[in-house]
Amino acid sequence: MTNYLQLSNITKTYGHFTALDDVSLSVDKGEFVTFLGPSGSGKTTTLMIIAGFEKASGGKVQVGGQSISELAPHERNIGIVFQNYALFPHKTAVENVYFPLQMRGVSRSKGLRQAEDTLSLVGLKGFGHRHPKELSGGQQQRVALARALVFEPSLLLLDEPLGALDKNLREQMQIEIKRIQRSLGVTTIFVTHDQSEAMSMSDRIVVFEKGRIEQVAAPLDIYHRPQTSFVAAFIGESNLIPATITSGAGRTAENSTLGAFQYAATDILADGQKVTLLIRPEHIKLSRNPIEGRKNVRMIVETIVNYGDNALVIGRAGDIPMRVRMLGADVVIIREGEECCISWMPEAVFVITK
Amino acid sequence: MGISLSKLTEKTNIWPWLLLAPLGIYMLIFFVVPLAEVAIMSFTEPKVSLANYQKVLTGALYQRVFLNTFVTAAFVTLCCLLVGYPLAYLMAHSKPRTAMLILLLVTMSFWTSFLVRTYSWMVLLGNNGPLIAFLEMIGFDKPPQLLFTRFSSTLAMVHILAPYMIMNIYTVMKKIDPALIRSAESLGARGWSLFRHVYLPLTAPGIANGSVLVFVICLGFYVTPVLLGSPREQMIAGLIGHQIEEFLAFGLGSAMAMILLVVTLIILTIYHRRFGLDKLWG
Amino acid sequence: MNTFMRWAGFIVVLFIAAPLVIVVPMSFSNASSLQFPPPGYWLGYYRAYFTSVDWLIPTWNSILIATATTILTMALVVPATFALVRHKFRGKGFADLMMLMPMAVPHIVMAVGYYSYFGDLGLVHSHLGVILAHTCLSVPIAFLVLSANLKGFDRNFERAAQSLGASPAKTFLHVTLPILRPGLVISSLFAFIQSFDETVVAIFISGRDAETLPRKMFDSIRQEADPVIAVISTLLFFVVLLGIAAPYFASALRSRAPKPSRPAAAH
Repeated sequence: MTNYLQLSNITKTYGHFTALDDVSLSVDKGEFVTFLGPSGSGKTTTLMIIAGFEKASGGKVQVGGQSISELAPHERNIGIVFQNYALFPHKTAVENVYFPLQMRGVSRSKGLRQAEDTLSLVGLKGFGHRHPKELSGGQQQRVALARALVFEPSLLLLDEPLGALDKNLREQMQIEIKRIQRSLGVTTIFVTHDQSEAMSMSDRIVVFEKGRIEQVAAPLDIYHRPQTSFVAAFIGESNLIPATITSGAGRTAENSTLGAFQYAATDILADGQKVTLLIRPEHIKLSRNPIEGRKNVRMIVETIVNYGDNALVIGRAGDIPMRVRMLGADVVIIREGEECCISWMPEAVFVITK
Repeated sequence: MGISLSKLTEKTNIWPWLLLAPLGIYMLIFFVVPLAEVAIMSFTEPKVSLANYQKVLTGALYQRVFLNTFVTAAFVTLCCLLVGYPLAYLMAHSKPRTAMLILLLVTMSFWTSFLVRTYSWMVLLGNNGPLIAFLEMIGFDKPPQLLFTRFSSTLAMVHILAPYMIMNIYTVMKKIDPALIRSAESLGARGWSLFRHVYLPLTAPGIANGSVLVFVICLGFYVTPVLLGSPREQMIAGLIGHQIEEFLAFGLGSAMAMILLVVTLIILTIYHRRFGLDKLWG
Repeated sequence: MNTFMRWAGFIVVLFIAAPLVIVVPMSFSNASSLQFPPPGYWLGYYRAYFTSVDWLIPTWNSILIATATTILTMALVVPATFALVRHKFRGKGFADLMMLMPMAVPHIVMAVGYYSYFGDLGLVHSHLGVILAHTCLSVPIAFLVLSANLKGFDRNFERAAQSLGASPAKTFLHVTLPILRPGLVISSLFAFIQSFDETVVAIFISGRDAETLPRKMFDSIRQEADPVIAVISTLLFFVVLLGIAAPYFASALRSRAPKPSRPAAAH
């Protein structure tokens, strides 16, 4: 079912401050969509509006074709996992999971059994009698997930749920959440500021910035074809070069320092248009001498950071800062302070018009 | 998150007013009105005039009592500081078990009724008590009268109010980063100079807090001075009570009460401006 | 500096402790006046306390008044604290300050006010009068404790409950109240003790009909220094000791209880 969750022209203002500006989005049933953005970009505000904890100043929210804008939070049937889990400290794990069923009038014996089943689903069989403080961070996370899923919500919202976990546990939980989400087919909105989390888990990513949606696309599309310079800079590493189209038909652009560029296939752009060219650092080759068939530019190497498996070379081509990713073993050909040659294929140059 | 979750409350909302109303009305009827009555009586009893204030502010007896009250309060505050500071230090810098035992003791003292502690001092300082016996043992033929003197009431007040001082200073000492002291030592501060230039300034907020609290409570102290003090050296609260109970001099008592109230409020207002009143009781 | 402070500290410990413990041997003394060390020991004054109407009635009055004061205080303070902590509105700063005011006014001033005002209303020498006055004096301490608790309350608990289908009323009942319970208990306890220990206002307005224990003790100390006071002091001493030590023991017991072994399975 398409357009299962529909946000239409949502705005939110606090006095003169605009927190959300005309946010529209549609999400398919069963889809896993991530809201990604820096803090203060509006992603959490949007989540809170969907959940009903904040009232939008304008626009509406629909689920399954029905407007839920006028419903109180407890009438929305939306499961939420909070960053700090918000497990009720006075209830055991299984009582926490039983709570939404209790609120829906399910009898205690039946509800507790169902809660135990859901705890098993998240891998916590036999932990039901413990209080939250007797559980580890990862286990609390699972209880919170079970609690948000047990009543078969129409939507699952995850508000930076992995932020409090250490790195290894976080990667395990990413896989686990994805597995559970897929097996239940529940439509999920996941809020994070961690791009690797977004890249590894999402069907689609929504990039927020300053209260607006910058781009909505699948993870690899976001990475390879960012629509705006903000998205290009926010996701992954990037070299951004200002340029002017010299021939739209011939796909050439020019930068005053680096000269003429060929760029990858795109819609034909008007001559003279100001654009930004994106070249990912791993698409640049570093060599002593120019390489035939590629765009070659001279660069002074300023800093080399070798991570072992790969290395980052930071330098300057004229007045333009450049970053190059290469294999750790290959970095021996160059030293800091030396001049070298960097080159790329036309397909590696992506034009950003905004 | 950036757009804070705390901004959920709506701007115009009658809920807070509904929730506050019962207490507000209660406080109006049972706090503001009785206080106002004191203020009014000070000007109208027995007849409308400023005579009560004139008498209280110029009469030799009253002036002496006011002065005595201030001097006593200041002295008690100083003693509480001298007594409280080392104990707070001991608590803050002992092994956890020792610190907890002392904390238990101070808490015990704090929660034990003023009356019980006042009574204890009557026993300790009484003519058949241990202190007099000790004085006789070391050679006083005719030991001095300890009970019902300025000495006994001051001592008991220091004992009763010291926990306020101790807890305030202790809270501040506990928060001092030990690294700060170590770094001061590494820079050459030792012993008393370390104390004077580093430790004492760091604990100043606790001292200020405790002193204001002790001073203000002491100003209006009734029970202990009345029970343990010399009848000839009354404090203001005792005199107010005396005027009301013995002579039914409501006007005079109210005028003194108003002066006590105004002085107290001035001190607390200054404190409130600087630190905020809610910090005072920790 | 360190050594000096420690020695001074130990001396102060004695100064603080001596008056607290001296009432215990005194209460078993058979002397008819204040004599220490006691000439002999017996339980006569305990018998005297537990059989004398003169002492049991004020004790009962104090318990009754403190209980009623606690209930009334909490009924007024709980909603007000929610309003003051959870909402922003014009005049909030003033309202916050007003909550603390009864603590700032010397009790003798309030006593004069109540003595005259309750005289007009016919409330002197009545339980109700003392309860009404004590409630006023208990409000600040109850508010301070409760507001500190409420400020530390994570509102995500309530959001979670609502997202799980609990209406605002059910959220309050099933989530907010249980989580706040320790704060409510301590707040009530403080209100109770404030009333139970309050002396000055009670001296002026409780009269013979609603005489509280502190008033009775005050009068007795002032007039004859009845040795029964040592008994009451000892009893109060142990009540306080129990009240303060109980949480320590409870936590000590809990930490000794076998902890559930940490599972390796679930992550």
